[in-house]
Amino acid sequence: MAAADTPSATTLRRRDLCSRGIRLARKMRSDVADLLDIYVERQGLDASISVAAVEGVPAAAAEHWSEQTGTQRLLDNLAAYRAFRTLLAQMLEEQREQLGDADAALGRALAAVLLQVSAFAYHLEELLELESRGPPGDEGDGPPAPPRLSLFEQKLRGLGVLRELAQWAVRSVRDLRQLARPGPGAGSAPGLAEGQ
Amino acid sequence: MAKLTDLSGEGWPVASSQKNSTDFDEKLGTSPGVWTGGEMANPVPSACCVVLAAVVVVYAQRHSQQDSHIQYERVGADVTMKCGSMDWDAAVTWTANGTDIDDSHLNGSYLILKNVDLTQSGQYSCYEGSSWHLKYQTYLRVGTPPKEPVLMCRSNNYPKGFYCSWHLPSPTYIPNSFNISVIHGTREMVCEKDIFPKNRCHIRYLQLFLTVKYKVTLTVTNALGKNSTSLTFDEFAIVKPDPPESVVAKPVPNNPRRLEVAWQNPSSWPDPESFPLKFFLRYRPLILDQWQHVELLDGTSHTITDAYAGKEYIIQVAAKDNDIGTWSDWSVAVHATPWTEEPKHLTTEAQVTETTSASTSYFVPPPTTKICDWWAVRPWQCVGQLDWSWLLMVSSLFSEYAPSWGHERWGWVLGGHGGLRGSDVVGKGDTKQAVGEEHWV
Repeated sequence: MAAADTPSATTLRRRDLCSRGIRLARKMRSDVADLLDIYVERQGLDASISVAAVEGVPAAAAEHWSEQTGTQRLLDNLAAYRAFRTLLAQMLEEQREQLGDADAALGRALAAVLLQVSAFAYHLEELLELESRGPPGDEGDGPPAPPRLSLFEQKLRGLGVLRELAQWAVRSVRDLRQLARPGPGAGSAPGLAEGQ
Repeated sequence: MAKLTDLSGEGWPVASSQKNSTDFDEKLGTSPGVWTGGEMANPVPSACCVVLAAVVVVYAQRHSQQDSHIQYERVGADVTMKCGSMDWDAAVTWTANGTDIDDSHLNGSYLILKNVDLTQSGQYSCYEGSSWHLKYQTYLRVGTPPKEPVLMCRSNNYPKGFYCSWHLPSPTYIPNSFNISVIHGTREMVCEKDIFPKNRCHIRYLQLFLTVKYKVTLTVTNALGKNSTSLTFDEFAIVKPDPPESVVAKPVPNNPRRLEVAWQNPSSWPDPESFPLKFFLRYRPLILDQWQHVELLDGTSHTITDAYAGKEYIIQVAAKDNDIGTWSDWSVAVHATPWTEEPKHLTTEAQVTETTSASTSYFVPPPTTKICDWWAVRPWQCVGQLDWSWLLMVSSLFSEYAPSWGHERWGWVLGGHGGLRGSDVVGKGDTKQAVGEEHWV
């Protein structure tokens, strides 16, 4: 009986990875919120401006979130953060081209978040390895090269990227918490509205 | 067609009084011979017919020309009521809720009400001259156009959905209708009205983690005008759980400085396992104004370890989603007093002995000083009566029972030229200061 109650090494490892992943995601969310403030200010944008869905930016919105399996959650998260890794790298390059070293603060903030996104993607790969699933290959996962945009369009696109990343950070916390739950079907939460 | 005879006056054109049956018949437009003026018929059926006819006539008169409707006017407006189709110079009588209105309010047959107020709401009727035929009737309702409504939207059951509720900042005194629209991106959503309360509707989330904001617009309309207000928000911003439920606090046996507090998640929060709540606990002795705060990231219980012995405490708990939204309102307050030993009764001054042992010291009040039961009453009531040498001796007693207290607490006790300064108390030990980042009020 005692053996049956003792979590397996895999379960413990999963919980540990999920806990660390939750902490990473929360830190990332906090830093993305700060980055958003800096970005809006430096780019001269109105914080309340609405940005239409940007092509190539993975949307955090989920229609049947509570019904997803753990593996699906991990795959969705990994695909998203790999895409963000590429998008943030593009933003960093654009920012350097536009402002050079004139705006070091924005560049540093972007680079810091890019680092966290990369680390989180790696963390997700570890979790997928644990699921004996193995992460999918990274080639071709990145978003398509951005079309030639005006400066203002680039700024709006950047705003859209950061806002969506902030949503993903919250979603990732929820996803990892679902994944860490004990019992079968960790990943589908009962008792929610049918719309979920 | 012959004119109807006024039946409200003196004479009924009864058959028995008719001298000329033809004339009567013309007047009443009835077939000859019914009203038997000339011939003497049986008086009882004739009287019944007359009565019946009179009733019909009166009813017809009352409903033929009256207009009965509702009229809405603003407070302060000047109102002119026309007596139906009566000429201006017709003689009329106006009543308000059955009471005659003085002629000073009339302009010809028009009723003039200047600068109307709420007390002038009621039924207004206009009667023709002395015949008292009802010519016009209206129900006047004095009110105001609606002011901008107050709209609030909140999700206390995330991730199921959210609700919006509304009210008017001041009454209009006339009926209002409310219309609410919810736009999410390009999609219009239906806000389902709640049965109770009726000024509320709810929406189910179709998707989570959206960046697109919701825009809710409420329009209120009445007969005198309309007004509206809007709210724009994202999914996370309006998340605010209900307060924790079933808060219980109790003393811990043989621990004079501890209180155990336990509570439950609000029942409206649908999935605390997937969307766990964190909690904020605040507590203070009743005698002080300053709260101690503790933030708890998991669990639904906490042990207070720095309570003042023997003092009654008031305790409240609030809840918040771990990652989004704002804190709930405070829970219902509970009271508890830490465990205390049974009090030892002192009989007379002569029976109180002094020892110098640090572990078993008792205080010896000066002979001229009133004995205070230190644990039972507010100790500062004793301070003003005691001299400083006595206080120095008592300090050894306190240092034995409260070694963790710092100078600031001792300053609290000795604050004593004036007495107690509760604001000097600072949280120590296991307590934490409130984290101010999340919308503390």
